[in-house]
Amino acid sequence: MRTKKMKTLFLALAFAVISALVGCSDKNASVGNGNGEKIELTFMFRGQPQEQTAYKNVVKKFEEKHPNVKVNIVVTSPDQYATKLRAAIAGRKIPDVFYFNPGELRAYVNSNVLLDITKYVENSKGVNLQDIWEKGVNKYRFDGEKVGQGNLYGLPKDLGPFALGYNKTMFEKAGIPLPDKDKPYTWQEFIDVCKKLTKDTNGDGKLDQWGTGLNATWTLQAFVWSNGADWIDESKTKVTVDDPKFIEALQFFADMQNKYKVTPSIAEAQTLDTYQRWLRGQLGFFPVGPWDLAAFDQQIKFEYDLIPWPAGSTGKPATWVGSLGIGVSSMTKHPKEAVELALYLSADPEGQKALVDQRVQLPNSVKVAEEWAKDPSIKPANKQEFLDIINNYGRSFPTEYTYNGEWYDEFYRNLQPVLDGKMSAEEYVKKAKPKMQKLLDQAIEQEKQASKK
Amino acid sequence: MKYSYDIEGGERREAEKKPPIVLVSKGKIYAYLFISAPVIGFLVFTFVPSLYSLYGAFTDWNGLGQMNFIGLDNFKALFKDEYFYKAMYNTIFMMIGIPIGVVLSLLLALALNRGVPGTNVFRVIYYIPVISSIAAISILWQWAYNGDYGLVNQFLGFFGIKGPNWLQNVHTVKPALIIMAVWKGLGYTMLLYLAALQSVPKTFYEAAKLDGANALQSFWYITLPMVKPVTFFIIVTSVIGGAQIFTEIDVMTPNGGPEFSSASIVWYIWQKAFGNFQLGYASAMAVILGIFIFIVTYIQFRLNERSRFDMD
Repeated sequence: MRTKKMKTLFLALAFAVISALVGCSDKNASVGNGNGEKIELTFMFRGQPQEQTAYKNVVKKFEEKHPNVKVNIVVTSPDQYATKLRAAIAGRKIPDVFYFNPGELRAYVNSNVLLDITKYVENSKGVNLQDIWEKGVNKYRFDGEKVGQGNLYGLPKDLGPFALGYNKTMFEKAGIPLPDKDKPYTWQEFIDVCKKLTKDTNGDGKLDQWGTGLNATWTLQAFVWSNGADWIDESKTKVTVDDPKFIEALQFFADMQNKYKVTPSIAEAQTLDTYQRWLRGQLGFFPVGPWDLAAFDQQIKFEYDLIPWPAGSTGKPATWVGSLGIGVSSMTKHPKEAVELALYLSADPEGQKALVDQRVQLPNSVKVAEEWAKDPSIKPANKQEFLDIINNYGRSFPTEYTYNGEWYDEFYRNLQPVLDGKMSAEEYVKKAKPKMQKLLDQAIEQEKQASKK
Repeated sequence: MKYSYDIEGGERREAEKKPPIVLVSKGKIYAYLFISAPVIGFLVFTFVPSLYSLYGAFTDWNGLGQMNFIGLDNFKALFKDEYFYKAMYNTIFMMIGIPIGVVLSLLLALALNRGVPGTNVFRVIYYIPVISSIAAISILWQWAYNGDYGLVNQFLGFFGIKGPNWLQNVHTVKPALIIMAVWKGLGYTMLLYLAALQSVPKTFYEAAKLDGANALQSFWYITLPMVKPVTFFIIVTSVIGGAQIFTEIDVMTPNGGPEFSSASIVWYIWQKAFGNFQLGYASAMAVILGIFIFIVTYIQFRLNERSRFDMD
């Protein structure tokens, strides 16, 4: 850049670039207005390959039913989805219909990314809201204060109840009475059974079968909640991890490994190992989600079934129900058709049937799900447990009620010493609570700031 | 940029021989046309977004809605954030792999340069990790590091060593990531060194031999200085790349590792921006990282200038 000539050239280039950028005006390909012209919708979603195929077929069916609508599909792998969606939102190029995480609901409503679809859903002729799980729909209600009530900003793509499975074959071999499918174990009973199952079966002096092996990130909730505690209070503004009932549950969770020794050793606690061990038939109890069924069909050589999670002091089991939402962009030019598509994806019986046959998810429509649960040809036998979780004892993650999940991540970030038995649960929560509260306060503040705009 | 000093030197010498260069010759126009493609690419995809991010660093942008100017608040919060320091420390710690990689790849290149039979085969083998997808490699290494049935611990088991659970252990997670990074980069640096070694004139070695230099001396006084530009290039680009390590962290330790011990600075930026709706804060971190990289690179160039080796 030593000469005027070059400078001018660069300036010209820079100018061209910037004007090109500015010129990226928001143009929607469609000019459809119902008189024979095609309406174009963009649908952005994520999935594993088999899931992508299944959903593409459902979209095709939707297009057959609505000849005036053309759906452009944008699909990503699960791990890239969040980044791509945020980029689209930041650039104000929000797809008409898209998946989103229920934990993002508050932020998206607050910043006017999601359309309030209440009245469109009520007026829809296609799908009846009563056909979809109430618990699933309620995850996407928000009244400006609390999640779970008020107007509707999304529909569940599916629900993911996290059940507890047990290795029936192992029980029979050990001559232990099978667990009751309706009456949960107490914690004490659970430990007793696990102790019986933890043993060296081939006499080489090394354990090769364990009671269980649980990952704190996904299963601690079951113990905390069923003991009557939670990470956060009813108002969703106060962190409550120093509740004695919480401490008790966390300590129990860590003790399974360190005191009762019914899980594989410390070093292997948080790896995929336990999943692999379960597949190989080395564990008595292991969590099972609906997304596992297809893999288990192919890889498991023993009999397994589902039971309720062991119950703490409340006497009731608890676990989480995950979900993914389908939302409609607040900027869509065709809200009616976009909501139609979202409804169709969420609950159309025909589409649901196709998805269930592909074994990618649990049916979203209550009717289809009940038939599915009764079908003896699909393993495991007690699929009703999934539905019980949805109807009775399943809950949302604590982060689904807050603006972001940083405060909750903080809890898990330094938890390892507790799980390794190097620190007591009590000591840990006392340390973690103020940090968590600070992050939660920040999130609440951030939400206030954002809604002022 | 890389060899600016060479080019300048060359131009200076040319200028002594030739009449001054005319800028507006036809050839030059074409040349500019050709270089305009990467320049435009840089402006659109790097320069303008960087400016945007610089502005974002001074706002409370959440990535969804408007941006409100909040002055230096992000930076103030940043310097009080223990995780920022931890992520920075982790990132710098993982750069230990750079000198290790340089030494190893130079040794390999020397070995291959001696005309071992099958050089081409080895070259290909070492280069495969370089062209493989980093995400796929991360998944493979995740298996290899598995505490229970991973390849690494099985290998250690042969010698009766009970290996740790690499990725779940605060003390081993960073070394595990370093080993992987060295392994992945080895082929690339080795190839550069191999090219550099092959361009060293044989006559130098012959002359040194006549003067009675032994192998070690000729390596020290001839080979090393001759490949120095390559070493410089590798270290500069590795530091820039190492400061931005992300994919392997995200794949192998999705939560930033046990007790945040493997979270790199870019991983933390990403977490803040896309996990917690704090794009303004994340931009502030990115600005600090950018300044850091710039300063480190500048220092490297200065150090390199001081010990410049001229081949005249």
